[in-house]
Amino acid sequence: MIVDVNFVGLIIASIMASAVPLILASCGELITERSGVLNLGVEGMMIIGAISGFALMTVTGSLIIAVFGAMLAGVLISTIFAFLTQTLITNHVATGLALTIFGIGISAMIGKNFVGIPGKEFPVLFEGLKDTIPLLSPILFGHSIVFYFAFALPFITSYFLKKTKIGLIVRAVGDSPESASNQGINVRFVRYACILYGGAMCGLAGAYLSMIYTPQWIENMTGGRGWIALALVVFSTWNPIKILIGAMIFGGLTIIQFHMQAIGVRIPVQFLTALPYIVTIIVLVVISRDSRKIRLSTPSSLGKSFHKDN
Amino acid sequence: MNTNLKISNVTKIYPGCVANDDVSLEFNSGKIYALLGENGAGKSTLVKILSGVVIPDEGKIYLNKNILKLNSPSDAKKNDIGMVFQHFNLFETLSVFENLIIDSDEQRENLKEKIDTIMKKYNFSVDLDVPVLNLSAGQKQKVEIIRCLIRSPKVLIMDEPTSVLTEQETSELFLSLKKFSEEGILIIYITHKLKEVMQLCDEVAVMRRGKLVSVSQINNENIESLANKMVGQDLKTIKKKKENTSSEQLIIITNLNFTSEDPFETNLVDINFSLNRGECLGIAGISGNGQSELFQVLSGEIISNKNSIEFNKNFIGNLNPQERREYLMAFSPEDRLEQAAIPQMAIFENVALNNFKSSNFFNNGLINESKIKEHSKKIISEFNVNTDNIDLKSQFLSGGNLQKLIIGRELITSPDLLICFNPTWGLDVGAINYIHETLIKINEQNKSIILISTDTDELLKLSDKISVIHRGKLSKIMNAEDVTSEKLGILMGGGN
Repeated sequence: MIVDVNFVGLIIASIMASAVPLILASCGELITERSGVLNLGVEGMMIIGAISGFALMTVTGSLIIAVFGAMLAGVLISTIFAFLTQTLITNHVATGLALTIFGIGISAMIGKNFVGIPGKEFPVLFEGLKDTIPLLSPILFGHSIVFYFAFALPFITSYFLKKTKIGLIVRAVGDSPESASNQGINVRFVRYACILYGGAMCGLAGAYLSMIYTPQWIENMTGGRGWIALALVVFSTWNPIKILIGAMIFGGLTIIQFHMQAIGVRIPVQFLTALPYIVTIIVLVVISRDSRKIRLSTPSSLGKSFHKDN
Repeated sequence: MNTNLKISNVTKIYPGCVANDDVSLEFNSGKIYALLGENGAGKSTLVKILSGVVIPDEGKIYLNKNILKLNSPSDAKKNDIGMVFQHFNLFETLSVFENLIIDSDEQRENLKEKIDTIMKKYNFSVDLDVPVLNLSAGQKQKVEIIRCLIRSPKVLIMDEPTSVLTEQETSELFLSLKKFSEEGILIIYITHKLKEVMQLCDEVAVMRRGKLVSVSQINNENIESLANKMVGQDLKTIKKKKENTSSEQLIIITNLNFTSEDPFETNLVDINFSLNRGECLGIAGISGNGQSELFQVLSGEIISNKNSIEFNKNFIGNLNPQERREYLMAFSPEDRLEQAAIPQMAIFENVALNNFKSSNFFNNGLINESKIKEHSKKIISEFNVNTDNIDLKSQFLSGGNLQKLIIGRELITSPDLLICFNPTWGLDVGAINYIHETLIKINEQNKSIILISTDTDELLKLSDKISVIHRGKLSKIMNAEDVTSEKLGILMGGGN
């Protein structure tokens, strides 16, 4: 059997494309969690981003407004979470879950008028180079700007956390908000900023789904990707590079199992559908087994409210 | 240049308690000042005010005659006030260098140079690249001190700095502090340890119940006079009566090992000892050398090999704490509100947790409340717990009262062996005295005690035999009369 290398390239590119929303949402949530805040509202923020992006695109016709509008929508909904958990000191878990339920509900409500409307074509970069290098061309060229941004993001995130002063402050707040506060760091401000950033990235992830990946609005179209993104953050032990690996495995298995279903492999469909979830988690658990490193990268104050007493 | 720090009429009121009541004090550089007082006397509130963590309700602070506005810790830093807290303000998972650079505005290279200079000058050696959680308490404190020194402070405040240090580390610290003082840094030293005040300080201010009770030159004071000022009454000193203890072995530990899966716990290596009836075995050591693991293994929180623990001629190494209690062992863990009692539960409910088959606290799965309450009242009156409300949540008891309740709960069933871990940690002098008297009393009733403690004075006072735990290994058992605190200090630091 002769395998067309460009076909392999296309499969890899489609795997990468399906990993994009996971990478964006996970890297956003990673920053939030590194500051000690557990926001379980990823799914909700993504779906809000998805409907906002699609609706703004349809109404204004501008892709730029739509993409930034989706990010802004993510910021706004995460502001609710930030206000509740940081100012009113509510429980992170309950508030995050409420955010997801709220997001799914309100997106369905807004989305009613947008069902069945076709999306717009999103411009791609380097399209002219598409046929230059076998195998690599379809992987490297002809994607949207969001795609390239997503694959740069884990490295940017890693650099930010390890090498910059602000990254250090984020880690410090996640490690011990009490010490940080005593050092004169404004814990609440840092956490607000991290939550809002996480919201923006989830909004972008949602916009990618509804505007680029499958350009249309379908109710509940995030389909649990927010939860996978959350799991990736934990199982990657808060390491952005491992998030990239995990997202690729998940994306890869999702695509491959589609192809296996299509060619009629005699394995129960339910098992195939479950495969990406199981394998991703197993792989991440195995590559993150060093308990010393886990201790060093886990934000010690994750999910705990910090209330400065006076 | 001389530094003059003045606290003028500072008052801070918390709901139900006046932490600082019209306190005025004046400090000048070149001297080391002690701020002495029991727990809850208001020392910590006062230094938190000086470091900007707490804002006073009334009163003013002046530095060199200029009024200071201290609304946040960064204000204190800006005004050259450095503070080393009792509970370290470090980020455990960040490296030492990251901990230092986080609140510095300097460039990496400059800062590194500055740190090197400081470390050379004061003979500190700390590895800058390891995460803080790998450091010993003494090293962590050095990191805190370096962090202050980087800013060339005018004032350095040390809050109970020796509670986690060995004897050797303490004397090193004192040398450094004296050097800082000679260089013109004004030093305020907060403690409740009288010996340290006499050793280190030039002037001493004593606080009691939020009020300043005296300020005096150290030359005019001695340990007794300071103790009386601090407590506000004459303290009787209790001494253990040396009696002939029986030679009947109560507990024999043979080749007890524990290997932890958690890399931040200490492994226990070949623990062997035996203890007679009526004796108290003290186990000294710097915290984090395996004490908590040893306590857990002895109490059954960690199950070990059946034959490794022989108690009253039974092999019980594989039993859990409840089963061991049935064999008349009793336990008082270190963390009163996490391990010994459940903070959100009422006093009587906490009493019921220590449940024996014979105590009939439960009938057919239902709680026998009246029985438990009656039992709780008995404990409260017998062990001097200062409350008459047994429905009170245990988190609202003071440390001393809670410890009395726990010790009472354990002792009321008259066990043969009490294993306690830092039983007087963080308590005031009155409560410490009471606990010590109680422990001596049960020894006199021919009951045994294993006392794991980081307080050497306490160990020397109460123990018949002493051993030192270092990195999970127990030293040979020594007779308490042959041991001095210096010798213990050497063993605790890993020497011979």
